[in-house]
Amino acid sequence: MMKFNNKLIAIAASALLATTMFAAEAKTKPLPANIYKATKNALDGGVTYKRENGAYTAYKVNDQSTKGVNFGRAPTANELKAWDADIMPDGTGLPVGSGTADDGEVLYDKDCAVCHGEFGAGGKGYPTLTGGSLESLKFQRDCPGKEAPNRTIGSYWPQASTLIWYIRDAMPYAHPKSYSPDQMYAMTAYLLRESGVQIDGADIEELNQDNFKKIVMPNRNGFYPNIDGPKGVENVRAFYKNPKNFGAVGTRCMTNCGKEPVMKIGNEITAVVPAYSTVKDLPKVEAKGAVSEAQKLYEKSCAVCHKTDAMGAPAVGDKGAWATVLEKGMDKVNHNSINGVGGMPPKGGAMDLSDAQVKDIVKYMVESSK
Amino acid sequence: MSNISENNLETITNQEHSSRRDFFKRTAAYSVSAIAAANLLAPVKLSADDENIIHHVEWGTTLGDELNKHPYGIPSAYEHNVVRRTSSLLSSAGDMHAAVSMTPLHELEGIITPNGLHFTRTHNGVAHVDPNKFRLMIHGLVERPIVLTLDQLKKYPAESRILFMECPANGAAEWKGPQFNSLQFVKGMMSNAEWTGVRLKTILDEIGLKPTAKWMLAEGSDGSEMSRTVPVEKVLDDAMIVWAQNGEAIRPEQGYPVRLMLPGWEANLCVKWLKRLEFGAEPWYCKEETSKYTALMPSGKAIQHYYPLEVNSIITTPCPEKPWTDLKKGDLVEVEGIAWSGHGTITGVDISFDGGDNYVEAKLKGLVLPKSWTRFSYMYKYEGKPLLIQSRAMDDAGFVQPSVTQEKSIMGLEGVYHRNSICTWEVRQDGSVHNVQVRTDNCPK
Repeated sequence: MMKFNNKLIAIAASALLATTMFAAEAKTKPLPANIYKATKNALDGGVTYKRENGAYTAYKVNDQSTKGVNFGRAPTANELKAWDADIMPDGTGLPVGSGTADDGEVLYDKDCAVCHGEFGAGGKGYPTLTGGSLESLKFQRDCPGKEAPNRTIGSYWPQASTLIWYIRDAMPYAHPKSYSPDQMYAMTAYLLRESGVQIDGADIEELNQDNFKKIVMPNRNGFYPNIDGPKGVENVRAFYKNPKNFGAVGTRCMTNCGKEPVMKIGNEITAVVPAYSTVKDLPKVEAKGAVSEAQKLYEKSCAVCHKTDAMGAPAVGDKGAWATVLEKGMDKVNHNSINGVGGMPPKGGAMDLSDAQVKDIVKYMVESSK
Repeated sequence: MSNISENNLETITNQEHSSRRDFFKRTAAYSVSAIAAANLLAPVKLSADDENIIHHVEWGTTLGDELNKHPYGIPSAYEHNVVRRTSSLLSSAGDMHAAVSMTPLHELEGIITPNGLHFTRTHNGVAHVDPNKFRLMIHGLVERPIVLTLDQLKKYPAESRILFMECPANGAAEWKGPQFNSLQFVKGMMSNAEWTGVRLKTILDEIGLKPTAKWMLAEGSDGSEMSRTVPVEKVLDDAMIVWAQNGEAIRPEQGYPVRLMLPGWEANLCVKWLKRLEFGAEPWYCKEETSKYTALMPSGKAIQHYYPLEVNSIITTPCPEKPWTDLKKGDLVEVEGIAWSGHGTITGVDISFDGGDNYVEAKLKGLVLPKSWTRFSYMYKYEGKPLLIQSRAMDDAGFVQPSVTQEKSIMGLEGVYHRNSICTWEVRQDGSVHNVQVRTDNCPK
C-alpha cells in the first residue's frame, strides 16, 4: 500500500516537472494603480472623471458659475429652413420633387462615371457604388486566395436617406450642392436601380418624396448595436459593457506568455510622397516662377483627374501621353477640352470656366508635359 | 468623395496574398526596405581633433539673419525632411482631396505635435473658411436655439486640454500583415495637441437641452458637409467646441476656424469646419457612420457607432526610420514610445524584447493626462543580437492592449477600423529595424 502510493507520487512529480520544462506556466500581473479618481461608467465602456474642488484630473478648472453667459441670437425661420435640411431615415427633410432612373443614368454618365466607373462599377480608384452582395459581407481574407467582402450601396448601406442626403450635400465631387431636387431623386433612383434595390418587389423607375419612404435597404439589419428608438442609447451602453464585443481582450501576461510565428512584410508599399528621408541637409533649391492663373485654375478644376493617369486621363508631366494627345493637333485638343471627349465631360465638368480659360489651362498642361 | 482611403486600404491589403510576381517582390523586399534604400540619416562621426571644434564654424564668423526675416517662424532648413507624408494608395486614385497625410512620429519629441505636422484627413479637400462669414447654429431639441458668430463663440469661457486625435483607420493597412516599413505609415494617422475652446455643456446649460434630446448631429461646412451623430451623454461629459490648437488658431487642415472635439473618440467624429449642431431624439444615419466608419465583423454584421479609440501604444525609438545601426554591444540606450487610450488615462506600459513571450515594466514619463499621448521609457543594454521589440499599454478603464492574435480572433480582418493590437519591431543583427507582426494564422500550407 505504502509503496504503491509512493510510486503514484513519483509519477505525478515527474509529470509536473515535464510541464514546467516544456510549457512553462504563464504568469500574469495585476494592472497598475489608477492615476486619477475614475469611475467606469462612460457610455463607451471607459471612465469619467469628476470636476471637483476646482480640478479635473491634472487640470485646474475655474469653478465659478457660468450661468448667464449668453451670446448670439435666435435663428430666423428662413435661416433654419436654409440650414436644417438634413434628410433622416423616416423621410424628414426629403425635398419635394421627382426624378426617373433613366434621367439619372444620363446625369450619372455626365457627372459621375468619370470617378465611379460605368454603372457605378468602380475601377477608377474611387468608391465602387454597385455590385456586391450580402453574402460577401461574411468573406474574410484570413488566408491566401480568399475574396474580399464587397461593401456597396446595395450590399451595405442601411438607409436610402443617407444616399440622397449625401448626393445633395457632397456630389458631384468637384461641384457639390449643385443638383436640383429632381436631379437628386433621379440620381438616387438610378443608383438604387443599378444596385437591385426594389420598392414593393418592383424595380425603381422613379423616386419622389412619397415613394422614397417605402425603400427598405437590403442590409437594413446588418448593423449593431441597435441605435433606433427610445432604447437606442441604452443598447449602445450595453454593447460597450462587454469588452468581447469590440475585441478588448488583452491580458497582462508577464512571463512565459508563449511564442508565436513572425510575419514579415510580403510586398512593401513604398510609394510615399515625399520619399522617405531622415537626412538633415539643406533642401535643393528649385527655381520656381510665380504660379500662373492657368495653373491655379488647373489645380482647382482639372488636377482631380489629370494629376495622375489613374482615371484614364493623360497625366500632367507624362510626356508620352501628351505627345499622343497632341498628334491630333492643338485645335482638336482645345475643341475636345471644351466639348468633352471619352470619359471627360465638357470643360471637365467645370462649366464656370470660359472657353478662353480652358484653352489657357490646356496650354499650361501641355507645356508642363514637354 | 470620401473614404476612398479606407476603400483603398481594403484594396491594398489584397496585394500581399497572391501570385508569383509577388513572390519575387517579396524576396526583394526582404533585402532592401524602402527606408533603408532611401535616405537614412548617416550618424555624424566625431573625428580626432574634430574640425568643428578646432576651427571656427561659419555661423560663428558671419552675421546672422535679421530677426524679423520670418514674421511667422519656420523650422530650420535642415529639418526639411520632417514633414507629413502621403501615399497614393491611401487616397482615391492619387487624388489628394480625399486622402490622408501621416504625422512623422519618428521625429516628434514629448507629447505635442507641431501644428504643421498634425495628420490630416479630408473628404473633399481642405476648406478655407472666411472667419467673418463663419456662423454656428445650435438648434433642435433645445429651449432656446442660437446662431453665433466666431467672436461671439469665443466670448464663452475657454478651457484647454491636451488630447490625442486619431483616425480610426490608423494602422488599417495592416490587418492582414505588415505592409509599410516605417513608423510614419504604421501609426501616423494620429497627433496630440493642446486644444482650446468651450465645453459644450457650458453652452447647453444656458440654452437648455430638452429631456427628449438623445443625439446630436454635428455638421461641417466643407464640400463634403461631413456630418456625424453623437450621443448627448458624451456631449455633456467632455465634448468641446474648439478654436485653438497649441496656442494659435486651428489650422485649415484641422477645421479652421472651429471643430468639434470629442476627447478619445474617432477623429472623424470631431467634425471640422463646424457649422451646425442639432439635437434630436433619433440618430441621423450620416454617410460616415454607415457606409464608412462601421466595422464589418466575421459574422457579416457590422459594428456601428464605434466611438472610442481603444488602449494602444507604439515604440518610437528604435523604429525603421531611427534604427540602432550606430549602436555597439554593451551600449545603454533608451527605448521610448507613446501610449494612449480613448477610454481614459494610461496607467502603465510593458515592453517585450522577445516578441511577446516575456515582458518587463516600462516607466511613464512627462505629463500623464486623460485621452492624451503618454510617453514611456525603458533603459536597455544593447547586446547586438536580433530582437522583437513590443510595447503593451494599459488604461484606467482596465483594458490591456491585445495581441494581434487576440484581436483578430474576435474582430476578424475586414473591419478596417479600430486596430489597436500590439506592434512589433524586428531589430536585426545589424541594428536595422523592420515592421513585422507576431501572429498565429491557421492557413493550409
